[in-house]
Amino acid sequence: MPQILPNFSSSVKLKYVKLGYQYLVNHILTFFLIPVMVGILVEILRLGPEEMLNIWRSLHFDLVQILCSSFLIIFIATVYFMSKPRSIYLVDYACYKAPPTCRVPFSTFMEHSRLILKDNPKSVDFQMRILERSGLGEETCLPPAIHYIPPTPTMEAARGEAEEVIFSAIDSLMKKTRIKPKDIDILIVNCSLFSPTPSLSAMVVNKYKLRSNIKSYNLSGMGCSAGLISIDLARDLLQVHPNSYALVVSTEIITPNYYQGSERAMLLPNCLFRMGGAAILLSNKRRDRSRAKYRLVHVVRTHKGADDKAYKCVYEQEDPQGKVGINLSKDLMVIAGEALKSNITTIGPLVLPASEQLLFLFTLIGRKIFNPKWKPYIPDFKQAFEHFCIHAGGRAVIDELQKNLQLSAEHVEASRMTLHRFGNTSSSSLWYELGYIEAKGRMKKGDRIWQIAFGSGFKCNSAVWKCNRTIGTPTDGPWQDCIDRYPVHIPEIVKL
Amino acid sequence: MAEVSLTCKRTVISTKPVQPGKFCPLSALDRLMERNYLHIVFYYQSTVERNPGELTKKLREAVAEMLSAFPIITGRLFKTPEGHWTIKCNDAGMRMVEARAKGSVEKWLQNLDREKELQLVHWEEMFHKPYFWSTFYVKVTEFEEGGIAIGLSCTHLLSDPPCATMLIKAWADMTLGGKMITPPLFHPLPGRRPGNTNTNHEPYVELIDYYKLSIEKPAPVFNTKQVTIILAFDDEMVRRCITRIAPVESSRTPFEALAALFWVVVSKVKGTKGGLTNMSICLDMRNVLGLDRGFFGNCMVYNKVNGDGIEGNELCKAANGIKEVVRKMDADGIMDLIEWLKERNYQDLPWMNGYDLICVNLEAVDSYSAIFEDNARPLRVSYYIEPAVGEGQILIMPPPAGSRNTFSRVVTITLPEDEVNKLLEDALIQEFSPTILMGLNKMHSSTSS
Repeated sequence: MPQILPNFSSSVKLKYVKLGYQYLVNHILTFFLIPVMVGILVEILRLGPEEMLNIWRSLHFDLVQILCSSFLIIFIATVYFMSKPRSIYLVDYACYKAPPTCRVPFSTFMEHSRLILKDNPKSVDFQMRILERSGLGEETCLPPAIHYIPPTPTMEAARGEAEEVIFSAIDSLMKKTRIKPKDIDILIVNCSLFSPTPSLSAMVVNKYKLRSNIKSYNLSGMGCSAGLISIDLARDLLQVHPNSYALVVSTEIITPNYYQGSERAMLLPNCLFRMGGAAILLSNKRRDRSRAKYRLVHVVRTHKGADDKAYKCVYEQEDPQGKVGINLSKDLMVIAGEALKSNITTIGPLVLPASEQLLFLFTLIGRKIFNPKWKPYIPDFKQAFEHFCIHAGGRAVIDELQKNLQLSAEHVEASRMTLHRFGNTSSSSLWYELGYIEAKGRMKKGDRIWQIAFGSGFKCNSAVWKCNRTIGTPTDGPWQDCIDRYPVHIPEIVKL
Repeated sequence: MAEVSLTCKRTVISTKPVQPGKFCPLSALDRLMERNYLHIVFYYQSTVERNPGELTKKLREAVAEMLSAFPIITGRLFKTPEGHWTIKCNDAGMRMVEARAKGSVEKWLQNLDREKELQLVHWEEMFHKPYFWSTFYVKVTEFEEGGIAIGLSCTHLLSDPPCATMLIKAWADMTLGGKMITPPLFHPLPGRRPGNTNTNHEPYVELIDYYKLSIEKPAPVFNTKQVTIILAFDDEMVRRCITRIAPVESSRTPFEALAALFWVVVSKVKGTKGGLTNMSICLDMRNVLGLDRGFFGNCMVYNKVNGDGIEGNELCKAANGIKEVVRKMDADGIMDLIEWLKERNYQDLPWMNGYDLICVNLEAVDSYSAIFEDNARPLRVSYYIEPAVGEGQILIMPPPAGSRNTFSRVVTITLPEDEVNKLLEDALIQEFSPTILMGLNKMHSSTSS
């Protein structure tokens, strides 16, 4: 007992010191301004009203000076307001909920794997080990074509899946936001691995009869971080086009990409990737200021493709039998860690409070000048954000980020539960996680959210949102029927 | 001729996940039936115009909902440390095959034989590692010009014909109305109630001996190819048959009358000397044991009927023999058998359908109330208890449409081909003028079903 108490009391003292320091540094301006204002007030009170009037008269204002000053003030204000970047609001978003008939329990997955890969028992065992440790649950969904024995990934089936996912999400979004198809000015669809002609964005234009002068874009091949790339693109477009709506659709179509061979490094995506999609409505209209859920604050993109190892770490190729699949290299986590560090270095100064930045600066100077052996200071991002949405790429990714950013279990709960309930839905997983936080009723006005996504290339992209209004528990959404069962404890290994 | 073409084969999953760690043990009666499997085909007409594949999709969604209540079907076979089969409810799903057929269902039913009918079911023999082997297979065949056939195949380890019919009925209820009228119950066979034992009770030795013999017999020889025909006897004819076997009509059931009739005729056709041919009857014991209609599992018991010394045309004596055995198969007798089976803990697998002529009473099986769409009762329901390796099979089934209390019956007869020919020409059978629903391909069916 005695050895625990001193640690506890010393850590409590340290905590108060830290709190005091943070409060002081973050509100330093207030601390300077208050004495100055008190001083002026005391001076005014001392001088009295007649003295004040005398000082005023002695300034000798004439008409020209007053006019010029006021014109100058108006001119500066106009320039400021015109050059300020437009605020981008996220009006609302909708996530696709797959029907329960598409559910894939572990035992079905393993059974199909055994039936299809009957000549490769080692590959089947590998898949079983991955599945046991994956962090997925029994309710993740695969598209119908993958339920067949053997799977039949035809183009028709892929288009069918795309239509089902994208149109459901967009219908749901239109119902929530009461927007008409004719109002959409910008359309961006991102789907990494399925890119038919005509594109998926053309498919959306055709289905909803969007305007002929719509600005539509289709991003493919950009991996799981393409969702945030689309948001970045939408933001830039909304700066150029005033008074517009942008519809962003993020999805990943599983049907054509189910690896049918037996190479182990390429079987991993089969175990983790699942059906999902999201549709997001962004706006730069002033009238959406009151009804929008979030405001976009920053988007930071980091690309490590210049490094050969990072470029090849998620690589689509043919296996020795000629079957196409995505090869994940063994140093994926290391590269992800480095990409994250790069991204944090850029985003840190934008979002961290002054106290953390100062500490980081001092430690950096200290390491460079005094002693390189000092531990590098990892800024405490928990002070900059209330909620974290880490792309649910796999259990290892979430564990790694939790360790690196020193996050608590509650911060990563949204990511872990999304991985459990929906699997890795690629670019749309961030939106399922956001939906989880809202469904739990944790989203309050003024909360800041950090969305981090990794993708092939190797890219690490972040988006920072600020909550615009307190969001009540939603009555619809993908979590509606199961949120009461969450959070669930996910064991390290699920025995199959 | 490729009349039936395969569209796809998939696994259907239940909509609700199964709680992990659940097991459904198999009873002593279940475990005896390991070598056998069932095929059942339900035929329906189309009531509304539909796109191809639309009805199959609806059925698939309904079956996924239904499977949530049947974790035993989506589970897999697993051997306990004692070496007995049990089902581990691991939520693996059920296989479903979809197919298309040319023509209409009515036309199909007119030109049917055993091989053709078995194209409408899908079956896979038990794998060497049964943990990846689905115990139930459903095949849905849409007819291009109208109609649909639903074929169910399953291992007899888990279900007997009444139980499989209950499954299809549950599926139909789910498709039509979204909920099951008789939800299934999974519980062991009832044991003997403690206070109820009659101290003077003699164990039912004949029944136990019959099972003992069946278990110890060597494997039967698979030689002659068997064919199947289906005959329909209308109400008046069955009543006439009953009157033939007993002056007082009410003391005989249609089963006893028809079973006696066919016992006598088949013996004649086989040329058995010194009595009637060896026959066993198979009865549904659910009512006798007081089980609920939703009971899932095997509950049909076989017993030998004694045909020694009965001459060729002595229908009355044959019927009496059958009635005597039916009477003796009461709750106590069945309990004796079950207890004996549990104690004996055998490891050998009997061929329960493999030797004698088997006469199965499926009268009470409620197949014609499985309605998937409004006002569409099944046109016909066919049952096959496989493998057909014994002397023959007689299945006595309820009539297709109309009232339940009628005495009309449909009889499925499986015998070697030459014996079937002789049976159809037999005077005794002709006396009751059956309608041939499914004959030998050489003969054209005279009237429609």
